[in-house]
Amino acid sequence: MSTEKRSIQHLLLRAGFGAKPEVIDRLSKKNTKHAITYLFKSSETFTDLDHLANPIKGKKEQELSKFKIVLQILRSRKQLKELNVAWLNKMATDQAQLREKMTLFWHNHFATKVPFAYLMQVQNNTLRKNAMVGFGQLLHAVARDPAMLIFLNNHQNRKNAPNENFARELMELFTLGEGHYSEHDIKEAARAFTGWQVSRRGKFYFNQQQHDYGVKEFLGRKGKFDGGDIIDILLEEKQTATYITTKIYREFVSTTTDDKIISLLADKFYRSNYDIQGLLKDIFTADWFYDEGLIGTKIVSPVELIVRYKKLFDLEFSDSKHLIGGQKIMGQMLFFPPNVAGWPGGKSWIDSSSLLFRMNLPKILLNDNRLAKADWKPVLNAFKKYPPADLNKEIMNSFIQNPDLQAHLGTISSYQDLSSLESKIKSTVIMTMSLPEFQLI
Amino acid sequence: MKDSFKRRDFIKTASLVSSSWLVPNFVKSFPVLSPESGNEGKVLVIIQLSGGNDGLNTVVPYQNDIYYSNRPGINISPDKVIPLTDNMGLHPNLPGLASLYDEGALSIINSVGYPNPNRSHFRSMDIWQTASDANQYLQSGWVGRWLDANCQESCGLPSMAIEIDDSLSLAMKGEKAKGLATNDINRLYRHTRNPFFQALAKQPQPAQNHNHDKVAYLYKTFIETTKSASYLYEKSKVYRSGVLYPRSPFARQLKTIAQLIVANAHTRVYYVSLGGFDTHAGQKWQHARLLKVYSEAMAAFIKDLKRHNRFEDTVSMTFSEFGRRVRQNGSNGTDHGAANNLFIVGGNLKKAGFYNQAPDLTDLDQGDIKHQVDFRQVYATLIDNWLGYDSRKVLSTRFNPLNFV
Repeated sequence: MSTEKRSIQHLLLRAGFGAKPEVIDRLSKKNTKHAITYLFKSSETFTDLDHLANPIKGKKEQELSKFKIVLQILRSRKQLKELNVAWLNKMATDQAQLREKMTLFWHNHFATKVPFAYLMQVQNNTLRKNAMVGFGQLLHAVARDPAMLIFLNNHQNRKNAPNENFARELMELFTLGEGHYSEHDIKEAARAFTGWQVSRRGKFYFNQQQHDYGVKEFLGRKGKFDGGDIIDILLEEKQTATYITTKIYREFVSTTTDDKIISLLADKFYRSNYDIQGLLKDIFTADWFYDEGLIGTKIVSPVELIVRYKKLFDLEFSDSKHLIGGQKIMGQMLFFPPNVAGWPGGKSWIDSSSLLFRMNLPKILLNDNRLAKADWKPVLNAFKKYPPADLNKEIMNSFIQNPDLQAHLGTISSYQDLSSLESKIKSTVIMTMSLPEFQLI
Repeated sequence: MKDSFKRRDFIKTASLVSSSWLVPNFVKSFPVLSPESGNEGKVLVIIQLSGGNDGLNTVVPYQNDIYYSNRPGINISPDKVIPLTDNMGLHPNLPGLASLYDEGALSIINSVGYPNPNRSHFRSMDIWQTASDANQYLQSGWVGRWLDANCQESCGLPSMAIEIDDSLSLAMKGEKAKGLATNDINRLYRHTRNPFFQALAKQPQPAQNHNHDKVAYLYKTFIETTKSASYLYEKSKVYRSGVLYPRSPFARQLKTIAQLIVANAHTRVYYVSLGGFDTHAGQKWQHARLLKVYSEAMAAFIKDLKRHNRFEDTVSMTFSEFGRRVRQNGSNGTDHGAANNLFIVGGNLKKAGFYNQAPDLTDLDQGDIKHQVDFRQVYATLIDNWLGYDSRKVLSTRFNPLNFV
């Protein structure tokens, strides 16, 4: 496999969810630089996730007399699962791959778990819309997001009884990271966010009656701050740029961080007024992003894995409950993060049961029509052209970034189904995707 | 693929599998299992009642007017209660638990919880499983860290701690070592016996250099899983329970555990969940049904262990992420509460019966029972006195152990 092809595949796996062999082949006719341009260009336009209708819309004032009733109307676990499936399908088919990937990144960064499906759809669209603009714009939007405000109890954050939950997580998980603020800062920030509530129409609303208009002391500044001011101060702190850059680096580059590179990236990110797209461009165009030592070293998340399958084989599940069940067994269900800190990722994805499940997935999904229907045509067409001597190698290089050809070629050839060319390709692909290394991108 | 794996190949490959795989020599590298520690063979079974069990309708303060006046629609009337003491009794569907109480094999610890209780299911469950403070996020579980603490040159096999389920709870995940989840040992075994996987497991393993530590980690997990699956499969054939268990999935899970305990498997911790306790509406029937499932399965499980003299080596802990409000809600159910009772069952308890006083219903925190015992004191007791280790290393701080074991 050419270096160029391997680099392009690396780019599409990390910045997207991989692609069919024919797409990689097509992009490989030009160079990596062109593929990067293509990646960003295809994410310029995008569409909302619009699976659910707003259940409050059209309701009369008297039907929404209490907030509790509003939440009752919005509550639906069933719809949350529908939304989960709709988003997975969007990830697999949408042109804006990088944008979907970033939306997933922010979905984990701003992990929210409330049973109000429509509000989660609203949040998801807020994340998508702001996924690649300035981080400040994104943060201001999330701080006014109804699902987030409910999840972190800001709804109960009142002048005379402040609730610190949102203020604490805003600093600990969303901007500065632990150790860069004091308990006093949290108390004062909580006061600034008093009155940031959700209306009975399910929208952000500033309740002046509940807002504390007094002077606050926050990170060495003093003033009659409100929530917006607190966010602006947090953005003035260089640590926020370092924290976000580190998290993006860990997700897209490596869990082993490189302080020198991160410091350079963070400097530029800060100076650019937190331009997320600029930061991503800096990463994907850097030579070090394509270092041998980085390729094929990320443990693919369950959602990335499922979307990759769907992309490669246009998988259609016979029942969406299988799609939910698979996420559950592997430990990552969209819209159901474990807590506000999100999914820890990396090695924590892999334990005995989840690994064995992942290794058995190719057989279950690609060779058995009961759970899902796979379209093999594109994959068969892509590999039919290779001479028999190269076939196994080509397949392994296409599906695995760092294949240990020496170790595996022999084993695979002794278990291949040689009854026809088609069976040979199929059995080789299934075995390749069953290798532990397939879990690395 | 089915076609490519011919029967002949299967047999050929199967016969090549080294029999040494079935010998658990790794057990020797697991320090707490050394005979000197005196904890050999001691087993902990953790039973998680998911959804927030209503402790007040489980262990009923049947002489308490506050209880009855707060729960006009869902109380357990005094004539239905199985009395244990002059003022405390069990839900009528818990006769199995009552006989354990009578024979001194049940310890009921009241008002177990933690400071600043969280009333969200998943957050509170997270706190219980990671043994964190209410405002702390840990990414490893307490059983997992106990496994970690025992790693020396290498860690024990995942089968040292088994969850009978399809996926592994955070409680069972350490930083270095993790337990194993399986709902069906035969299926687990079958999944590892695919001839291609067998061949893969025998290949020379990739070197542990910096570029490939993830590859090494994947193979290590894969091979440990294969070994654990073979080991458990062998052990699961040693003893087929002759005790009649109820037909519930929960009973089937306990049966699997009993069979492994009786077979002297090296597993030290078993984890199992029973869900459905989130009784916000019409709770009476649902709660009664769940307690019946729990009690009947436990009765069969204990009978099984006793029959094979393993009850003395087994302790079970039954917990829930929180209790429920003292006052019932408007739909004959109960909403999320705070501290709750917890059951310890074992054939060799130091202190049986009621471990501490009944919850004080006159002194509540926002309508909820206040905690008197921190749940991590219970964990510390189980780690220090039963599993064998220094609980401070697992819980990162000292929690005073209790003395039920």
